[in-house]
Amino acid sequence: MNKLFLIIPIVVLSFFNFSQKQIEYIEYDLENGIHVILHEEHATPIVAISVLYHVGSKNEKKDRTGFAHFFEHLLFEGSTNIKRGEYSELVEKNGGTLNANTSHDRTFYFELLPSNKLELGLWLESERMLHANVDSIGIETQRSVVKEEKRQRIDNQPYASFIGEMFKRMFKEHPYNWQPIGSMEHLDAAEEEDYINFYRTFYVPANATLSIAGDINIDQTKKWISKYFGSIPKGQAINMFRDHELLTESDFEKTYGIEKNKFITNDFNNPKDKKAKNILKSLEDKPINIPRPEKASNELLGLIKDTIYDNIQLPGLFMAYRFPEETNDDMYALQMMNDVLSGGTSSRINKSLVEKQEIAQFAFSFSFGLEQAGIGIFAAIAAKDKELGDIQNEFDRQIDLIKNNLISDEEFIKVRNQYENNFISSRSTVASISEDLANSHVYFGDAAYSNEELSKYMSVTKEDIQKAAQKYLTQERRIILYYLPKEETE
Amino acid sequence: MKNSILTILLFLPTILLAQIDRSIRPVPTEAPIININDSEIFKLDNGLTIILSENHKLPKVTFKLVTGAKPNLEGAKAGLSEIAGSLIMSGTTNKSKDELDREIDYIGARLSATKNSLYLSCLTKHMDKGLSLMSDILMNSNFPKSEVDRIIKKNESNLIALKSDANSIAENVQSKANFPGHPYGEVMTSSSLKNINQENIIKYYKENFVPEGAYLVVVGDITKEKVLSISSKYFGKWSGNLKNETALSNISLPEGNRVIFVKKPGAVQSVIKITFPIEIKPNNEDYLKLKVLNNVLGGGSFGNRLMQNLREDKAFTYGCRSRINVTENGSWFSAGGNFRNEVTDSAIHEILYELKNITNELVTDEEINLTKSSMAGGFARSLEKASTIASFALDIIKNNLPANYYKNYLKELASITKDDLLDVAKKYFNDTKCNIIVVGNEDVLNTLQIFDFDGEIEKLDAFGNQVKDIIQSDITKEELLRKYLNAVTSTSSEKELLKKIKKIKSMEQVSELEMSQMPMTIKSTKLWVAPNSQGDRLEGNGMVFQSSYFDGSKGYTQNMQTGKKEMTKEQIQSKKLAYGIFPEMNYSKTGINYELLGIEAKGNKLVYVLKIEDGISETYDYFDKESFLKTGSLSIRKVKDKSEETSITYSNYQETNGLMFPMTYSFNAGKLNLKGKVTSIKFNVKNDFSEFK
Repeated sequence: MNKLFLIIPIVVLSFFNFSQKQIEYIEYDLENGIHVILHEEHATPIVAISVLYHVGSKNEKKDRTGFAHFFEHLLFEGSTNIKRGEYSELVEKNGGTLNANTSHDRTFYFELLPSNKLELGLWLESERMLHANVDSIGIETQRSVVKEEKRQRIDNQPYASFIGEMFKRMFKEHPYNWQPIGSMEHLDAAEEEDYINFYRTFYVPANATLSIAGDINIDQTKKWISKYFGSIPKGQAINMFRDHELLTESDFEKTYGIEKNKFITNDFNNPKDKKAKNILKSLEDKPINIPRPEKASNELLGLIKDTIYDNIQLPGLFMAYRFPEETNDDMYALQMMNDVLSGGTSSRINKSLVEKQEIAQFAFSFSFGLEQAGIGIFAAIAAKDKELGDIQNEFDRQIDLIKNNLISDEEFIKVRNQYENNFISSRSTVASISEDLANSHVYFGDAAYSNEELSKYMSVTKEDIQKAAQKYLTQERRIILYYLPKEETE
Repeated sequence: MKNSILTILLFLPTILLAQIDRSIRPVPTEAPIININDSEIFKLDNGLTIILSENHKLPKVTFKLVTGAKPNLEGAKAGLSEIAGSLIMSGTTNKSKDELDREIDYIGARLSATKNSLYLSCLTKHMDKGLSLMSDILMNSNFPKSEVDRIIKKNESNLIALKSDANSIAENVQSKANFPGHPYGEVMTSSSLKNINQENIIKYYKENFVPEGAYLVVVGDITKEKVLSISSKYFGKWSGNLKNETALSNISLPEGNRVIFVKKPGAVQSVIKITFPIEIKPNNEDYLKLKVLNNVLGGGSFGNRLMQNLREDKAFTYGCRSRINVTENGSWFSAGGNFRNEVTDSAIHEILYELKNITNELVTDEEINLTKSSMAGGFARSLEKASTIASFALDIIKNNLPANYYKNYLKELASITKDDLLDVAKKYFNDTKCNIIVVGNEDVLNTLQIFDFDGEIEKLDAFGNQVKDIIQSDITKEELLRKYLNAVTSTSSEKELLKKIKKIKSMEQVSELEMSQMPMTIKSTKLWVAPNSQGDRLEGNGMVFQSSYFDGSKGYTQNMQTGKKEMTKEQIQSKKLAYGIFPEMNYSKTGINYELLGIEAKGNKLVYVLKIEDGISETYDYFDKESFLKTGSLSIRKVKDKSEETSITYSNYQETNGLMFPMTYSFNAGKLNLKGKVTSIKFNVKNDFSEFK
């Protein structure tokens, strides 16, 4: 105990002198609405290219859940200029790697390439944005692949359904009700029309953020961006371009009232014909309306208790509280509260439930911050022959403690130091920097947030943490799920 | 703060964009030069080697300490090293676990331990504090009893939870199938956990956490000067030497494709692993070729064959991959993934097909080029991580690689040809001697038999141990023995049986044995004389390989390797417990432990299973449910920490002198396979044991 006090002064001195290095970047908007963020650093000859589309499962229709994620799979299938299966091959044979992920709020694609292949990466992502091509074989294949993904990640994993079970109960009205993986029945029911509409609504320049980090030359990069992304038609004109490639001459004329041959693919934005010019101009000026749900209301009003039977051996307890959206200032205090409760071996929950009382195998709390709402989760897997009721009592006791008392000075310094370390460690790759800048722009309205985040945490006080606990850890308004083993059917 | 950020908001003027032909694919600009910095390497007097890779990009530093000890067989204590690893941070002679945890978290550092390493990651400014904790743990861990008990209890629960995780089950079974009798093949179970205690954990720590042969890898924001001072300050007093290493047993491929099934009730997917050990070490020049080959098949890039065939073409799975694990102490190949129940057999078929294909045909130019470029790119990307350079240096020292191995990596990679890949494919891969592991729903079981070379699927539990579906017996153990004895003596009552046996004073049985591995005939002679004298002899090519003699109270065994030895107390006891021409007649008198387990299916027949324990072995005798004749026997003998299995099957029963004897039998012990044919059985012969002594 005494030894601890010796190191406090040193740490206190370093308090106001965080070792965070600023991320330098430039940003601008293309005329068609794509937001561009560029970060230049030459430590390693590689570049991360990412495109964030501001569409996630919360933008889906109630009867077409899982679409955003399914689209992520489909958009590796190719484009007008890229054959099926060639997309990933082009990246890989150029020494790169690629992937994508879909959340409730966004779909995020990225390539990591040797820096001399930057132009290739830009071309690939612009192809995906402008005119992805999906055939029925691709749809059928990816439909099955997604089903396997769901089986592997959720259905066949012990306890893995708990997130879905929580969200379902927490968000009765808001589309956070369902998970990005969605419903397999909905995917089966989807028709061509659904796919076309989804692409035409959400995969448009004004809904995209292009973030690039790594060994780049800014001037050259801007030229290439202008060539591949700047040439993508603006507003509703992008869908006319797509129709120009897809529709027959007569269908095109019927839809737009002008002959198809008045436009040429390679110079679509500059038709010679006057009427064509006017039609294009009017479509360019019409923005595409991107449907976004209303922010979730504070719906959770009471206490919900349920039991779920799963293919498990040890029972589990999961509790959820309603937290605010991730941009809410209360989230900083709530995150730090979580770290007092659950960050590191010395955290309260680990010490009490796992080490001292030995009632849980694992126990932790974490917060799930989304664009329009948040969830705070407490979870524990029971130790052999231990009761979930005892686990719940101990969680409740810990919650009472943090609501009724200020955390100690030692804990306070600890979580600040943990934040500083995690924060610095999280900026170690160009991939993480490009993603972080894009997220800051989209969710916090400014890429500069990437450089301000740490100071936001550092301005949280012990009182803020207690207040946040009192405000959000509402014992009479929460969800409690008991996971119990299914009877083995032999 | 905002002022310090370079934020330029640029609204580009509306410019007329030039024409663009999107079908033209961009070409790369000049390739960047890939620099691989050198690491600094130095050694302390106590034997610790320090590898430093400076990198000042972030104000962070990491220290990884890896011991030089080889894995050891843990036998009845399987899991000891793992448990010891998870307890290293449980307290030192200076600090309790609570104090350690608090002090580590207080500086926002990460400090963790495994069975052979310690790892510290922290901001440079907290380095001294972090290192003082790390070195205290390294040298002064004291494994308090209460923590030992807690971790053991926690692992008991973990083992229970493991049964609901198909992937962990598959890992367990894979280890056991590929590495029998090798440390990699040992799996912690609830019974091995019971044998682990504070004393043997401390012993493990003292023997393994020693500076001799150990490496400290330092990466990050630190200078050489500072490393020199901290290493003598925090690691200079560390002492100890490695104990002598015991050789690891050799590993071989299964005889043919072997299906192993673990039942997972409620599973909606089957976890499939097609796996076999491979004989290669990290410094083998084939290793890089084998990596390229595996990447074409199912590693690295998305464009690999398994992913393209089983996911993109057939949509059986979210992902199907293969990997090779090459280590100094043992290496293996494994391919598979998670597949929906209905396509389990099809998925196995396709994976085997791809294995066969790649060992028979050259890969295409496109495949090898794609794979090599992808690997070259991955190599370049890996250099972004500060730890990569240091791990290269560690790899070179630990695995005796040439000093310029990583500097030449891209050149070596570029020089690999399609023929090289076919060569290594033939040398290391196969599609006919694989362990085919399936963890899944019982519904898929009957589709798997066609893949097994002998048609008998091994059913294992979550820890890789045999499970048998045994149903309850319809008769008692006494009834079973009576029926068996009546059957072998062709009698119908006990009285008749006794009368018939009484007349037999001695018996000599001679048979010829053929070895599957060697074209040689061995002669086996067994002599029994009432009440309990026995002789046994194996000979061939004019030599006696092995013989034994027992006179009812003492005896000898001798063989060519060890010479003549007196029988141990246990051996004598076991002979006394099972005496007579049909020892089963005397089970009730000698007090031998025997128990009727029930009825199970063996091949296409039902058999009664009788378990017998004589103090040396556990023996399982199988009796046909229809004829009551003995069809076989499995004997498991524990020698120190290992167990040896011997199995015998009997067939072709014929009558000799009113008694039924199997005229053919096969004998199987480890890699030894013998087929026996009885050539003569004689009764009431001369009581002459001279040839057995």
